[in-house]
Amino acid sequence: MMIGKTVDDVNVRMPEDTHDTGKHIPTFNAYLVVVVRDSRGNIVKVHRQRSHSPTANFIGLFLPIAYFTSNNVSYTITNVTSGTCVYQPNNTSGAQDISYPNTATNKQTYLVMIQVGSGQQSNPYTATALAAPIANGSGAGQLVYKSAVLPQSISINGNTAYFYVTQSFNNISGGTVTITEVGLLLQVQLTNYNATSTTNCGQVLVWYDVLSSPISVPNAGSVTIYYTFTVNP
Amino acid sequence: MVTPDLASEDNIAKLIIPDDLPDEPSFKAYIEAKVYDKEGHVIQYHRQPMRSLTQYFLALMSIPIIGTYQGPSTNQATGPLTNTLSLPSEVGAYGTGSANISWNFSILLGSGTQTFSPTLTSLAAPIANGSGAGQLSYGSVLATYSGTTIYIYVTVINYSSTTINVTEIGLSATVYIQYNASGNNYASSQYNYLMSYDTFSQHITLLPGAIATFKIALTFSG
Repeated sequence: MMIGKTVDDVNVRMPEDTHDTGKHIPTFNAYLVVVVRDSRGNIVKVHRQRSHSPTANFIGLFLPIAYFTSNNVSYTITNVTSGTCVYQPNNTSGAQDISYPNTATNKQTYLVMIQVGSGQQSNPYTATALAAPIANGSGAGQLVYKSAVLPQSISINGNTAYFYVTQSFNNISGGTVTITEVGLLLQVQLTNYNATSTTNCGQVLVWYDVLSSPISVPNAGSVTIYYTFTVNP
Repeated sequence: MVTPDLASEDNIAKLIIPDDLPDEPSFKAYIEAKVYDKEGHVIQYHRQPMRSLTQYFLALMSIPIIGTYQGPSTNQATGPLTNTLSLPSEVGAYGTGSANISWNFSILLGSGTQTFSPTLTSLAAPIANGSGAGQLSYGSVLATYSGTTIYIYVTVINYSSTTINVTEIGLSATVYIQYNASGNNYASSQYNYLMSYDTFSQHITLLPGAIATFKIALTFSG
């Protein structure tokens, strides 16, 4: 019998009868919350929207070993400067896996920042960088980036589990700065299996959203962004 | 405009999971089962939404979002990895050696039911791999993707002489951490997690000799 044919029969589109609509509850959601403060620290705006946009880089990095072995393929990661590297995780020599903390040689894979920008692009999935990143600084049109804060664990509330990352930005540019796009940048380092060699993939855009309305940060004010990822919300 | 004294830090924290936004899901998932008789004819086809992801799915998914390290100058793993997946904060490595992490997915089938919890670690009654009574022979897990959808498949055969009803299904992950233990010697540790749990709205029946393909599709909206 031809089981293989059935396995290869991939439905490219999600079947209509499995859409999470009406009473159905999505199993996973991502949210973007933006809080703007004025020069006195008072909150002047809270913006909330659903986040929809993992990038192709995210999908590639999340794929299981079975994808690479059963199809005998690798995945090309594209970083923010359009550089590329080959990702091919496995448990065999020559495979390129994500680096992990250890007591000897470390090449860190870590969240670089929540990056904000003043541009937008229509296809977030294929985005490899923000359209117009806002630079870190105090010049005109710039924001001072504070460090991103990571979750300490997955939080549980009933059947809901979630984590969030947050980062604040100060505006000392002398004028209003407007944010229209947001992304998560991951520094990716690959380590060869059964070897000491590593590959620096650089900074990789893994999540990207265009804001549903622009956010204006007043001079001497600040903005804090929360990215929340949750299951069974 | 938000009145300042109505939005404290505590209030902001409560905003991170809004419940008043339009229902535009960021994610969709479904489960599909096809059962064939001995002659290869499809005798049962079933598809349903997948609803119940566990905290372990979220923790594993955190790797391509926030990475494995807490930052550029620390050698400690992130909180979701250590506190939720119970992975080591750092593994021992030798000399110029290092460590790496990878993972694989598989599909678990069972004949029981249980109430969902995001901390579930196993099916209620897993169906063992084999040809004995009540057992199924599991084929290799296949995976592919198209755009923002990841597909995972497994084919099982009922070699036993009894009918088997599949009532529950889970997506599981095996995480591998490899490290340079000494000289050119490498060691690897592995950890298993249940990433989703669903019961079938109608059980999947495999008569003796039947073959079934189970598929899980995960779609990030993109």
